Order: sequence, then C-alpha cells, then structure tokens
Amino acid sequence: MTLPILSLIICIPLLAALVLASGKLKGYAQQISLGASLIQIGLLIKLALGYQTSTATFQWVEQHDWIHFSLGSLGQFVAKYHLGIDGLSFGLIILTGIISSIAIWNSDSIKEKTSSYFALIMLLNASLMGCFLAKDFLLFYLFFEFMLLPMYFLIGIWGGPRKEYASIKFFIYTLAGSLFILLALLALGTSYIDPYETALAIDFIQPGQAFSAENAQMIQTAIANGEIASDKWVHSFDAAVFADLKNCYYKSILHPDSAWVLGNLSAREWAFWLLFIGFGIKLPIVPFHTWLPDAHVEAPTPVSVLLAGVLLKIGAYGWLRFTLPFFPKEALEFSNILSGIGAISIIYGAFNALAMTDLKKLVAYSSISHMGFVLLGIASFTAEGWQGAIFQLISHGVLSSLLFLLVGVIYDRTHDRSIQNYSGLAQIMPAYTFITGLAFFASLGLPGFSGFIGEFFSLMGSFNSQHSSAIWAILGGLGIILGAGYFLWTFQKMFLGKQYLKNSEWLLSDLTRKEKLSLYFLGISSLLLGIFPSIIFNLTDNWVSHLINQLF
Amino acid sequence: MNYQPSDFLPIFVQLAAAMGFIVFTMIVTHILGPRRSTKLKDEAFECGIESQGDARTPISIKYFLVAILFVLFDIEIVFMYPWAVNFKQLSWTGFWEMAVFMGLLLAGFVYVIKKGILKWEK
Amino acid sequence: MTPVIALSLFGIINLFLGFTFKRQSLQVVTLLFIICSMALTAMDWNHEYLWFGDMMKTNNLSINFSLIIQLAGLLVVAFSNGFGKDEVYTQPAEYYAILLFSLVGALLMVSFQNLIMLFVGLEILSVAMYVLTGSDKRNLRSNEAALKYFLMGSFATGFLLFGIALVYGSTRSLYISGILYNLSHTAPESLPSFLYAGIILMGIGLLFKISAAPFHFWTPDVYEGAPTIFTMFMSTVVKTAGFAAIYHILDVTFGGFQKNWIITVYFITIITLILGNISAAYQQSAKRMLAFSSISHAGYMLLTVCANQPSTSSNILYYSLAYTLATAVSFAVLMVVAEYQTGRTEKPENFDALNGLAKNNPSLAFAFTVALLSLAGIPLTAGFWGKFFVFTDMFNKNLTYPIIIAVLMSAVGIYYYFKGIISVYFNSGEIEKIETSFLFKIALWSACIGTLVLGIYPTLLKSIF
Repeated sequence: MTLPILSLIICIPLLAALVLASGKLKGYAQQISLGASLIQIGLLIKLALGYQTSTATFQWVEQHDWIHFSLGSLGQFVAKYHLGIDGLSFGLIILTGIISSIAIWNSDSIKEKTSSYFALIMLLNASLMGCFLAKDFLLFYLFFEFMLLPMYFLIGIWGGPRKEYASIKFFIYTLAGSLFILLALLALGTSYIDPYETALAIDFIQPGQAFSAENAQMIQTAIANGEIASDKWVHSFDAAVFADLKNCYYKSILHPDSAWVLGNLSAREWAFWLLFIGFGIKLPIVPFHTWLPDAHVEAPTPVSVLLAGVLLKIGAYGWLRFTLPFFPKEALEFSNILSGIGAISIIYGAFNALAMTDLKKLVAYSSISHMGFVLLGIASFTAEGWQGAIFQLISHGVLSSLLFLLVGVIYDRTHDRSIQNYSGLAQIMPAYTFITGLAFFASLGLPGFSGFIGEFFSLMGSFNSQHSSAIWAILGGLGIILGAGYFLWTFQKMFLGKQYLKNSEWLLSDLTRKEKLSLYFLGISSLLLGIFPSIIFNLTDNWVSHLINQLF
Repeated sequence: MNYQPSDFLPIFVQLAAAMGFIVFTMIVTHILGPRRSTKLKDEAFECGIESQGDARTPISIKYFLVAILFVLFDIEIVFMYPWAVNFKQLSWTGFWEMAVFMGLLLAGFVYVIKKGILKWEK
Repeated sequence: MTPVIALSLFGIINLFLGFTFKRQSLQVVTLLFIICSMALTAMDWNHEYLWFGDMMKTNNLSINFSLIIQLAGLLVVAFSNGFGKDEVYTQPAEYYAILLFSLVGALLMVSFQNLIMLFVGLEILSVAMYVLTGSDKRNLRSNEAALKYFLMGSFATGFLLFGIALVYGSTRSLYISGILYNLSHTAPESLPSFLYAGIILMGIGLLFKISAAPFHFWTPDVYEGAPTIFTMFMSTVVKTAGFAAIYHILDVTFGGFQKNWIITVYFITIITLILGNISAAYQQSAKRMLAFSSISHAGYMLLTVCANQPSTSSNILYYSLAYTLATAVSFAVLMVVAEYQTGRTEKPENFDALNGLAKNNPSLAFAFTVALLSLAGIPLTAGFWGKFFVFTDMFNKNLTYPIIIAVLMSAVGIYYYFKGIISVYFNSGEIEKIETSFLFKIALWSACIGTLVLGIYPTLLKSIF
C-alpha cells in the first residue's frame, strides 16, 4: 500500500494542532509547529520528485467515500474525500508549505498564549492545504470556509488595537463571499448528474471498473431520455462533473435552456457571478477589497504573511479551478468586464498605496494592485495570460511575504509604521536597506525578478486577447508605473537622505541572523524565479494549454 | 327527523317569560320602593355584623390548595359514574382500567398527604 | 409506545423519591429513567405499531424524533445540576417529574395518528412548560413570563382546536388515515371551503409553539424570564416536537393541499427569517439573542417544510439534532456564567458578562464557541449540514428566492453569534475558574463532540434518518 501523502500533508498540521491545543508542551510550541511544517515540506519534496510535468491530469489521487445521502425519489447525493494535485495546485501547495514555515519561523514577536497561536497557525495551514488539494467542490468549500476561523482568531486575539473591528469585518466579508459560493455550489449540485456514480448506482459498472468517455455518454443520453429512474440519479460535487455541460439535467435551473431569468441574467450567468464574486472577495477585487487593509494593519506580522502570501491566492485558484471550467461561456461573455475590474483593481490599489502613510497599509494596497494583474491575465483567456496569472500568484506569494516581513522587522523594533517618521535608515541598518531595496525593486516589476515575469505575461495575454479590450491592458501597464512610483518614493523617504527618527530613543539594530535567513531566502527565491521562470512554467504549461483547448 | 324553527316556539316563549319577569320586577321595585338613604343603610351588609377593614386581605394559600384538590378529586368521581353504569359490558378489562386509574389517583392522594398539604397548622 | 407509559410511571416515582433522595441522586435517577425510556424507544426500531386504539403510530421517523427529544431531555437533566443549592424555593423532584411528564407530551406529539392525540400531547407539554417557566417564584420576570406564556399559549391552543374542529367537520374523521381516505375519495370541488381555514388555523396553533413570526412575540420575554435550564428545555424539546407535528400535519396529511397553505407558510417563513435574525443582531443580552436565534432557526426549518420533498423529514431530523446540541450547550455555558456573575455584575446574562471567559475556563469557552459556530452554520459543525440539506431541498424544488433571503440572513447570523465569541476570546474580563459538576462536563463534552462528529461525517446519521 502506498503512503497517502496528500492526506498526510493535511493531517500532520492537524495532529500538531491537536498536540498544541492540549497545552501539554507549552514551551516547545514553536518548535513543534516548525517541525510539523518541515515534515510537510519533506513530503512536498517527495511529491516533487515523483511529479510528472508532462500530463495535465491529476496525480497522487486519493479517493474515499465520505458523504452519501438519499433524496428519496430525487436521487442521491454523493460527496467524496477526493484529493489530487495538478499543474495549477502543485506550485501553490509548495508555496503554502514554504510560506507557513517562514511565518512560524518569524513568530518570535508573539509572546502570549503561544500554544494556541501555533495551534491556529497549524489549523490554517491544514485548511489551506486542503483547499488546494481538494478535487471535490464540496470538500474544497468546507476547507475554504473553515479557513476563516483560524484566521479570525489569529487576527482577533493577537491583533492590533482595532482587532475586533478588523477581524469581524474580515469574517463577514469573506463569509458573505463563501455564501455566494455555497449558493452556486448547491445549484450546481442539484442540476448536474454524475454519470460515473449513476452507472455504479444502476449496476452498469462495478466499483473499480474503468469508465470510458463512451460509457459516460451512454449514461448521459439514458438520463436525458428518461431511461434511468430518477431515484437512481446520483448528484455529486466532483469538479470534473460540473465542467461537462452534458451532465447538466435538461430540466434543471442551470441548463442553458432553462427559462429562469432574474434581471436580464440567466441562471447560469448568475451562478457565474456568484462564484466570481465569492472568490473575488478573497482575492480581493476592487469594490470588495476594504477588508484587506484593515485585516493586514491589525494582524500580527506572521499572520499578515500568511494572509497575503497564501490566503489571497485561493481566490484566483478558485476562479481557475472552478469558476472558469464550470462556466466557460459565461466567463467569455463577460471577459471585458472582468478585465475592467482587474485594471481598476490595479490602478485603484496603486493610487491608494501612493496615498498611504502607514507602511503596512501601503504594502496591503500594493497587494490589491498586484492581484489585479492576476485577474487581468485570467480574463484574457489566452495561454500566456493564464501562465502569467499563475506565475504572478506564486511570485506575489513570495514577494508580499517578504514585504510584510520587512514591515514586521521595523514594527518589532519601534512599534511605529509611519513612513514619515523615518529617514536615512540606510546608515543605521544597511542590511535591512539592502533587502528592502531588493524587495521593492522586485515588486515594482524590475526585469530579473519574479514580479516582472508575472506582470509581463499577464499584460501580454491581455494585449493579445481577442475577448477583452486592449485599453485595460494599457491601464494595467500604467499601474506598473504607479507601482514604481510608490515603492521608489517610499524607499527614498525612509532609507535615503538625512538620518532622522521621530523618536530619538528608538534603538534600531540591524537584522538578526534569524531574520536574515528567511528574508534572504525569499529574496533569492524571487530572483531565481525571475531568472528561471521555467521552474513554474514547466509545471503549468500542460495544464493551461489543456484547459484552454478544452474550454474555448 | 327535521326540526322547523317553529318547533322551538315554546322555548322562545319560556325565554321571553323569564326575561320579562326579571325586567318587570327590577323596574317595578325601582318605581315603587321609597328611597331613604342613611349612613347605616349605605354600609356594606355583612350578615348584621359591623364590617371591619379592607375586603382585599391576603388569604392563606391553603384555602386555594384545598379548593383545587377538592375540585380535582371531585372531578375524578365523575368518571366513575359511566363506568359503573356500563360495568357489565366493560367486564374485567374495564375493571383493570379503572383499577389503574384509581391507583394513580391514590398515588396522587398519598403524595398530597406526604407533601403536608392537608396539614392545616404549619 | 412503551416509553410513554414508562416515562409517566417514572415521573410519578420521581415525585415520591423526592421525599427521601438528595438533589444530586435525583438527578442521576432521572438520567437513568430517560436512558431507560430511550432504550425502550429504540427497541421498536424497524417496526410499525399502532397504539391506544390506533391513536398513535410508531415508525422509524417517530422513533428518531422521540430519540432526539429524549436526548434533549437527557442533556437538560444533566445540565440541571439538581437545580442549584436553594433548598427552600426549588423542588427538584417536582421539576424532574414535570420534565418527564412534558417529555410524554412531546412523544405524543411526534407519533400521533389522531388529532385529539396531538391536542392532548401539546397540552401536556405546554401546561408543564407554563409551570416550569414560572418556577423562579421570587423573580418578577419569571412570573411575568409564565403568565404571558400561559395566556398566549392557551390562545394558540384555541386556534389549534378550532382548526381541528373545522377539519373534522369537513373530513368527518379525526384519524390521519381517515382524513387521508376521505380526502382522496372526495372531489376537491365538493370539499367545504372551511377545510382550508381549518388547515391554516391548525398551522397557526402549531407555528405559535415553534415561535414563528408573527406569532413570536412571547418568545424573547418568556425565554429571558424563565430559568435558563427551562429555557434550554423549551427551545429544544418543544421546538423539535412542534416541528414533528407541523411536518405531520402540513406535509404528510395536507401535503396534497400545498397550494392552499403554501403562500401563508411562505410568508410566515420569510418574516420569521428576517425578523428573527435582524432582531437578534440588536440584542445586548446573550439569552435574548439566543431566543431570537431560536426564532430564526424555526425559519430555516420551515423552509424545508415548504419544500416538502421526500427528504424533508430527514432534514428536519438532522436540523433539529444539530440545533438541539448547539442550543443546549450554549444555554448551559450561559447558565453557569450567569450564575457566577449574579451579584458581581448588574446584568449577568449580557454578552459583557461573558468577557474573558476563555482565560480561566478554556473548556467552557471552547464548547460555547463550537455551539455558536454550529448555530451560525460554519462548516465542520453539525449546523452547517443542517442548513446545507435544507438549501439542497429548496434548490430541488426550484425555490430560489427564499434561498437568497435565507443565505443573506445566515450572513447576518454570523454577526450576532460572533458577538459571543468576541466576548469570550477577545475581550478582557475577570472570571475565575468556574467549578462544574462531573455530569455537566460529560454532557457538555459529549454534545460538543457530537456537534463536531456530525459536522465532519454527516452520513453517520443521515443514513439512519
């Protein structure tokens, strides 16, 4: 029997969380969680060694029965514990593993209730991993929504002065988003019929037997012709089922012919928008972004790192994994609007960042701006745009973690993040200045760093796109200039010029060895990704071209 | 058998006579009786004894308890009449059912006594 | 229906045990009694029996409902702790006996086969609840609550009885089977129109008991005034029994006349959802918030009654169980904290009284959080699946608009349930370690673990229901 590695990746942090929550090993909380995430990274390396980049299908698949209930004469519902990795998720789980161990490594500033803190971090890690690994939409949804809880407590207990406001705002925003997703999920679940499970239910095939595309077609026709009694229909939440429109029951609300219309939008269009906005709140896209700066400002540094580094990525992951494959036609139909939202996010985030005096808020708004590129790339519906979007996800995961850690360094020393209170830091903290400069230049899209590749390919996709207007790509390009503006400005104000500190008693020591380790690691990763982008592109290449061909 | 409204005529006559008598006597006493009010006459009539204090004095809860218990046990007796009338037809089944009923009643009675509800001085 | 007989006898025995037994031993004995009657209930599994001159029918559905109701009773008794240490003003033996008697009423309500039996069951349950509501004799709020509950409740019973009379008049039978037979053998045109009035009136009588808006006005006052332990009983047992009865009346008996009652019930459901959730968001008192939350949950459960699908009964069961566990735990924690805070703060049942609970009482705080999360419907708790199944039903029936309202309202729900979590974890306050009894801990943990297990693996019970 092979080792269920994907389950282990989820279970190890859960176990660590249990051990920590029991409170027995209080003094070693950080070590235990670090150990757990190192084991996790070890497992990820094992996955990487056995991973085949040549296929677009899921690998290391694990599947177990989980939920099965009958709806009487309306058939049955099946949800499975179904895990797997492919080109989209693989990069993201590696990112998750690395970023969370870095977050744990840099958690020295947390002094009280450490064991519950690390237990929550471990829970967060497990649910993030679960999100990226789940193949079943319902399973994904559970992880997706459960993820809010540890985050809520992490911000609410260890956060800054306005932690209650920020945490409940974060929770209500993202929960509203996940309720939208729930609506779409239920509509999908009740409308689509899983041919494979139905074949099992009518004893057409036996468990374990191969199920070919012709067989699936036979079942689909049989259902459409009413040859299979309705109590034998099996509805499942498998993402692959939802991706095939032929599985949609012709009388259901989501069928293209359904007469259900609300405000000029058909049911399918509504479902698309529900999913899009539900995930968009997480990313965040502009009208729904206001929770992010608040959450970031109040969250402690390592939590910010996790939030920006990994959590935001789930929004885009959800689009690529679920929204677009389920509703390709609708997505194409609205691609111009989507690009527009992306461009607005870029510009709006950048302008806000320009106006910020709080360094952390600036980084938060720059996140919004950078996430706009992801949407721009996705909405181009071109292979290079999608490649760029996925690359941007990972690149931003590395860079935003780096930036938030850098903000944390100075906040730990002075408890002040106002940009105007510092000047000429280069003379006091040379190493810090160096790595900050590197991070800023990488973030503003200097060629040679990862940020450039992601933004470049996203914009290129957007320019080449036949579906969305080039104006949005031009606006997005403008965003890069604005990004250079706020980063360089801040760098100049804080690090160059005459040495000035608002409070002369502040003791600004340079980076410690522990800090250096993680900061340099992230900086070098960004550089590596920038010089050898094929590390990521190799992973995503097949996946993207396969999906694009299949959908459009 | 169908009843016509006219069949109820005797009842209406009876009703009218009863109501009429009441109305008649009330009006007549008002007209005929002389009215001489004195202080003594205006007082509340308490069987000839001089009235004292407010009418709304607290009464011991025991009164209510006993009253309620009386009503409870008295009502149970009502069930025994139809049972006694149909005793033969109901035969042993009916007997045992009644025995269970009386048993429960008895349990209640014992409970009431043990609770000391019937102890007057306490 | 052996548990009905057993529980009645146990109640009487309990009355007499009160003369000799101490509080704590009475509690244990009552627990044993309920467990015993649960076992008797479960013994009828997979059999269909008619009882008491065909006036009651037990089948798997009614057994499931009975078990949930008795489980709720079990939790309440375990949390009761012998009703405190007040020797003069509390009579544990009587309270336990009344609880057992009211369970009998609830059992009748879930397995009735004759409308008179429904009425009798409802009355047994209600009269017992009137008494228990007012059992805190020296508390003015408790007295007010009891009187209010009694007046409103008897009014609602009047509605129910009037409805029964009209239904009897039009169908010439009080038996469910007889009603169904007569309805199916009569042309719909020749049915008297007061049948529909009768259905609606019966519905109103029952909807009052589950506190659906606009018949909910008694709920916050009564829930707040009654001693917390009985509020717990009221919000779990009465609600579950009420829903079983509503399901039986509206969906099973008059499901064929859905077009005649659906608009009314729809309207009531929507109003219930909106009023319950919005009002709950404004409460300062945690107990009052839970009262409004119970109103809103009635709304969610009514949704599935409206959908009237084959899976409706199993959804109601799942929802009731999830709701019962969560509500019992949240009231239990609230109760011990309020007991501790009495005399220390002005309003011991407010959210503020919970401030800083997590510091010295991590297990109470954790249990409270799990319960609130389950009530809010966060995944990996039973409450999520309760809502999930209900929404699935709605989608199968293509009832899209009510779902949108329900989903929006569950977002509102997050806000007020999280107020409790904020108090417990984020706010600072001074609460020392609160000592709870062994039984209390066991009940708290088993309810908590039950909530989580049902949240992770719902198939466990969904396959039975």
